[in-house]
Amino acid sequence: MPKLPVLGLFQDANNAADAGDALRQAGISDKDYDFLTDAPYPEGAFGERVEHHRLYIFPFIGAVLGLTSGVLLTSMTQMAYPLVQGGKPILSLPPMAIICYEGTMLGAILFTILGIMFESRLPSPKLGLYDTRITDGYIGVLVQCDEAQLGRVSGILTQAGAVDVKRQAAAAATA
Amino acid sequence: MQEGRALTPTQINRDLLRPILEQPKWFWPAVFVLSLIVLVGVSVAGYMINRGLGVTGLNRPVAWAFMITNFVFWIGISHAGVMLSAILRLAKAEWRRPATRAAEVLTIFALSTALTMPIMHTGRPWRAIYWLFPYDFARGVWPSVRSPLVWDPSAIMTYLTSSTLFVLIALVPDIAVLRDHTTGVAHRIYSLLSLGWQGNARQWKFQVVAGVLLSALILPVFVSVHSIVSWDFGMSVTVKAWHSTTFAPYFVIGAVHSGVSAVVFVMIILRQIYGWQDYIRKEHIDALGRLLIVVATAWFYFLCMEIIFGIYGREADELAMREMQFLQYPWNVLMIIFAGITYFLPVALWLPRTFRRNLWIMSFACISVNVGMWLERYLIIVPGLARKQVFTFTWQTYMPSWVELTLVLSTFGLVSLLLLLFSRVFPLIPLYDIKEGEFLRTSVQVGRRTVPATIRED
Amino acid sequence: MAEHAHHHQPYPDDMWVFPRRETAAQDLVSRTIAPISRYRIALIITGVLLALGVVGFIARAATDGFDDHAPWGYYMAVFSFLFMITGAAPLVAVGFRFTKSHWRRPLSRISELFAVLGVLNVLMFIPLLMVLPPLKNPEVVGHQLEIRRSIWFGGPIGSPYWWDMLGVVGLAVLGMAILWLSAMPDLAGAKLTATGFRRKLYGLLAGRWYGSKRQWNIQKAGLAMLGAFYFMFLLFVQFIVASEFGMALVPGWKDSIFPPLYTIVSFQSSLATILLVLFILRKWGGYEQYIGVSPFWSASKILFALTMLWTYHLWAFFITFWYGRLQVEQNILKYFLFESYGWVFFVNVVFSFFTPFFILLWNPVRKKAWGAPLAACFILVGTLAFNIRIFVGAFNAGHTFDHFLETVPPPAWPDLWDIFMVGGFIGGAVFIYLLAARVFPILSVWEIKEGALYQKMENFMHGRYMVLAKPE
Repeated sequence: MPKLPVLGLFQDANNAADAGDALRQAGISDKDYDFLTDAPYPEGAFGERVEHHRLYIFPFIGAVLGLTSGVLLTSMTQMAYPLVQGGKPILSLPPMAIICYEGTMLGAILFTILGIMFESRLPSPKLGLYDTRITDGYIGVLVQCDEAQLGRVSGILTQAGAVDVKRQAAAAATA
Repeated sequence: MQEGRALTPTQINRDLLRPILEQPKWFWPAVFVLSLIVLVGVSVAGYMINRGLGVTGLNRPVAWAFMITNFVFWIGISHAGVMLSAILRLAKAEWRRPATRAAEVLTIFALSTALTMPIMHTGRPWRAIYWLFPYDFARGVWPSVRSPLVWDPSAIMTYLTSSTLFVLIALVPDIAVLRDHTTGVAHRIYSLLSLGWQGNARQWKFQVVAGVLLSALILPVFVSVHSIVSWDFGMSVTVKAWHSTTFAPYFVIGAVHSGVSAVVFVMIILRQIYGWQDYIRKEHIDALGRLLIVVATAWFYFLCMEIIFGIYGREADELAMREMQFLQYPWNVLMIIFAGITYFLPVALWLPRTFRRNLWIMSFACISVNVGMWLERYLIIVPGLARKQVFTFTWQTYMPSWVELTLVLSTFGLVSLLLLLFSRVFPLIPLYDIKEGEFLRTSVQVGRRTVPATIRED
Repeated sequence: MAEHAHHHQPYPDDMWVFPRRETAAQDLVSRTIAPISRYRIALIITGVLLALGVVGFIARAATDGFDDHAPWGYYMAVFSFLFMITGAAPLVAVGFRFTKSHWRRPLSRISELFAVLGVLNVLMFIPLLMVLPPLKNPEVVGHQLEIRRSIWFGGPIGSPYWWDMLGVVGLAVLGMAILWLSAMPDLAGAKLTATGFRRKLYGLLAGRWYGSKRQWNIQKAGLAMLGAFYFMFLLFVQFIVASEFGMALVPGWKDSIFPPLYTIVSFQSSLATILLVLFILRKWGGYEQYIGVSPFWSASKILFALTMLWTYHLWAFFITFWYGRLQVEQNILKYFLFESYGWVFFVNVVFSFFTPFFILLWNPVRKKAWGAPLAACFILVGTLAFNIRIFVGAFNAGHTFDHFLETVPPPAWPDLWDIFMVGGFIGGAVFIYLLAARVFPILSVWEIKEGALYQKMENFMHGRYMVLAKPE
């Protein structure tokens, strides 16, 4: 059965964090709820799950690819068009190193950007259940639950101090 | 070291999005004036391309002058972005928050403007592609990677691409705020650009990691860019005064000096025109002023090294060039002005705390630095070439023509125009960075004094 | 409470330490007065080394005298090695006090204490002045220069000798002034505990310090001003040492980046040394409750940056000379980098750049107490190689009055006395430092006590975080 989203809006960040605790105690897995905020809170401020990722691999892959392209580009173009300048060898390592360095850094940075997009799951085609008050400082607690649990989850959110609880239908109407 | 009152998220949104959501009255007139300046520049460039470089003051041996000076100048300004946002981010300096985006955006526009200069300087811009890009598969003619003139575009393009992506990635959460506060077409465009940003914990985590990781990666690129610009000059043995090993760090630190000064000036302007007194506070300008004292002194040290070891070799051609710089009119006067307005005057103005907190004095000092830094590049390039000896039979001097003057002036209009247009569409102060700073603010009680403090994740 | 189980902790337990304000002073002073047994062993070993160094020096002077500078290359190298570390070390305290970094607190006295070694620098510098060739060529042979290339341009009276000496002595005095002013509050406190001679000494050094608000303000402003002077003076003296005893002795070597390069190497190696001392104190000195992992973590990023800056400066030198391709440039590259001192250069680059780079690249390694000190060990070997390659090379580069380095000179290998001097004087420097650590508390008591006011662990929402306060 597909899970349905419920969004609780909190004015107070501490209440939102308490809501997280209450959800966990009610047996909702911490993979099924999320905190939507307008700014990066320190990690663990909501007692949220620890996010695992492999972002740090991306720059290394990019760097290797960039370096390889740099080496290939510099060596092959110079060998293909061998024109001696200022008594320097055709394959002059120091100038090649400079271009390769730029290639390495460019590759690393491009792949880091890709990695960030990938790891943050952006661009995401659908915004899903959302409320514009979040960017005004409200904290959204977005829960994915079975249809049967909808009422109970809404209750937990309201009890924890949510000023508003939205469900999918309501979101569809406003969208 | 935190002053100012507490700000709520709604208030931050309202204040920082004001230039975007409510059009300032002066906006179109300002755009009109700046566009006119740019248009004049474009026309003059067209005229120069049509008539050839003969309409400039360039001659033999002074084949590089105003346009190349201006190129180096704008590349220098572009070093503000990463210097401020990356170094201060890595150092976790709280006072970086309002300065980062403006600095990064200035980087992008200054860099793009700089790029136009050497391309126009070639006289036949459409041919530049032959020398720079490895594209000619048909004939097998490739650019020489042994030339610094090829290293240069590779570095600049890397820097431009990286800093543009850096700005864009950091803009996404702020675009989401715009999405939530707009309607109609604007809402649709911002929705598209916000890439479906929700603001969940995972997205924020990577936003924060992105800031740190990209800063660390762009920093070595930033150092390489101005180093390579310096090697456009330094690799040459025919101009002795340029063939100096210290050129790379000397140029980089000089770029930081002029770039950070430019950012301070831009921040003061933003504070005034958009009423951001609560965001760009005097403490921020003060902190930047203190940073500038250190940067300026480091730059001055490298300047001394460059001059001392220029004379140290006691080689005839270098001495001839130094004689021109220091003893012959008008270069000697320019040299004195340069040293005064780039180091002694501004540093004297930055030393007292009250001056650092006076926006007029700070603006004056920062403009003074930038005029001086422009002059610095001019004093390196023109006398160097004018007294170039090997393979030359003539000593010349140089006077810019009206064409070059107009072109150079119009670049200032171009950068201002681009910044203005940007500020009308995207916030120049990162909203979430300010919001984060607000809730990480706390205090520690020591005796009867409440000491401002910050919550730190690490 | 249920949520306490979920407290998020982004750093290991020993990242931050919170020394008790009440007992810190008493404890740190008593450790200075009665050191542990390992201290005595270290003192004996380094004392023996110092004696060997002196033997090597006397033997060198007896066999070669002071007329020619060539035999003194290794002596110069070890002088420069010690001078670059000890000269720049106090700046670590000055610099991070200026940036108001709390993590600096345990390492500020460690770094200031190096100022004591100014005495050794001055003593070691005198023979070097004696072997320095004159500015004016005594007898011009062939096309030689009449006045050699020098930063003095044959200039002011008494140059270079008096000015060089003034620089090294001035720096030593200034460094000790910083140490004295910074340690004054601690010594005043220590006077209360100490007895006998020690009590008299502390009384003398502490003067009339009683800790009034006014005195603290003066101390703070004084340290800031002395620090700024020290920084500028250091750049100047390093510029003299690098160009006068390095570049100027190599015919035709004109290299404006060499003094900045020298300065960067000195920053890198002195920070490395300080971190090593910090690590030793934490691991074997029994100072765990005062030294957390955070100083290592914060400093490791700076050490990493300095490591990269070193390579950058070296590259800026190399690419200019490589590209210029003048004969003198090619010969200098061959001499210092690729042929004569090729192996030393290899050690230099591997130990000063590649090894620390790949150690410090990893955040998990930087977050360990051993990460930066491990890199530091390599850096120190690399720095010694740097000084050997440059100064042994410069002292043996042939005729100072030649226009250019026309041939590539062969390398100069050390003899027994050189090895005695290199090992001996490094040991001697440690010996003097150890002695100084018996007088001054090795951790800055007042800075640690002050730090305890401004650093706290606090709950924020459901996490536990560090709170750092900045009083200004």
